[in-house]
Amino acid sequence: MIAIENQIESLLAKKAAADIRIQTLGNFEVWRSSELISSKEWGRDATIQLFQFFVTNRHRRALHKDQIVDRIWHDLDSKAGQQNFKVALHGVNKVLEPNRKSRAESKYVIRQGATYQLSLTEIWSDVEGLEQFITMANQCIGTNPKLAQIAYREAIDLYHGPYLPNRLYEDWSSEERERIQLLTLGALINLSELQVKENPMESVRLTQQALQIDITWEDAYRIQMEAYLEKGNRPMALKTYQQCERVLETEFGIKPLPETQQLYKKIRGIS
Amino acid sequence: MDVKKEETASFMLRFTQKIFKNENGEPQVQWRGNIRHVQGGDEKRFSEFDEVVAFIQNKLADLTIQALENKSPEEQKSILAKNFDLWKKMAIEGPKMVIETFKDPKKQIENFQDQMHQVKEEIGQKLEDTLLRPSKADYKQILTLLEGLSTEISTLNKKVDQLSKKKSK
Repeated sequence: MIAIENQIESLLAKKAAADIRIQTLGNFEVWRSSELISSKEWGRDATIQLFQFFVTNRHRRALHKDQIVDRIWHDLDSKAGQQNFKVALHGVNKVLEPNRKSRAESKYVIRQGATYQLSLTEIWSDVEGLEQFITMANQCIGTNPKLAQIAYREAIDLYHGPYLPNRLYEDWSSEERERIQLLTLGALINLSELQVKENPMESVRLTQQALQIDITWEDAYRIQMEAYLEKGNRPMALKTYQQCERVLETEFGIKPLPETQQLYKKIRGIS
Repeated sequence: MDVKKEETASFMLRFTQKIFKNENGEPQVQWRGNIRHVQGGDEKRFSEFDEVVAFIQNKLADLTIQALENKSPEEQKSILAKNFDLWKKMAIEGPKMVIETFKDPKKQIENFQDQMHQVKEEIGQKLEDTLLRPSKADYKQILTLLEGLSTEISTLNKKVDQLSKKKSK
């Protein structure tokens, strides 16, 4: 478990010290040596798009220039797309390394032939951090729940909203948005479950956060009912069930699961 | 820069599986989920797969309608009818075929081959009927593709035959 403690510390140290820091959740901002890069410095939207595309595809093997153009600017003809890529890549490199000598290799955008990839070694991004904290938490939830709670907390603190909200209608960003949202929902549910006995009102807050992401997430209602019950607030536990029932009926036309119904009956039976 | 008409519709589909026991203690599976049209942002939750098909159909119909904005009413009608036919066939035959394939792969490949021939005939007829005639080269290319597919299915069929024989030995 020491290994995971070290991993958490090392990730937090990277967050504090990285030369390039990227926020993608709830908003898009990039800091270079603690200085926020202004929209004026980014210039054209194509430059931002290309950089965001690199961040989105950070785990994939290097992508060929043609694939990148085809995914981001599929509505342009090939010539215009290639021109866009060339100008945008120049823009990305200039924003990340304004003092880089011309013809010198970029430290962050790694090029091999006609393929490109973002190097994460010296970059901190909230989305990557969130994923790593959740992985660590999931690894130790069974053996060291205290440590798992710390890691989940770090991950949840990074979630300020959907991934790249300004690219909500772009095909290439959807998969990552969905993946991160599900990871976050899982983290919120696990942490709220761990907090039911210890800190029921915090558990309620976390489940509310989960329901803000997806109002139909039934596990969140059930844990919230348990947390209210733990706190001795029976009316709120019953009200939570009624809300769950109403939402599931409106959104899916279904009833809550037997597990949730049984909990409701149990709470109702307590006098 | 030449901006083309939107030709792509992407969908993000989320399924959540819930396994539980009913009042008699028998295990049950329930699926619920949501589908999102990426380019438009519209979203729908579902617990029946039919709702997903209907959602996708609507969005694709919108896409076709937008693409036909500058066509004559006759051309629009003809293309929309073809689209509808295709979807009707897919919606009815697709799931049935998947289930049947699990039961009897050889028979299903034969059925599929027959259907391919049928679709080939139908498309040939419709292309002749339509006001929006494709060029001869387009027409030939479509038929060549369909013939290629039929041949591949024949080969596949033979392989299944051989496998069945081996199995029966």
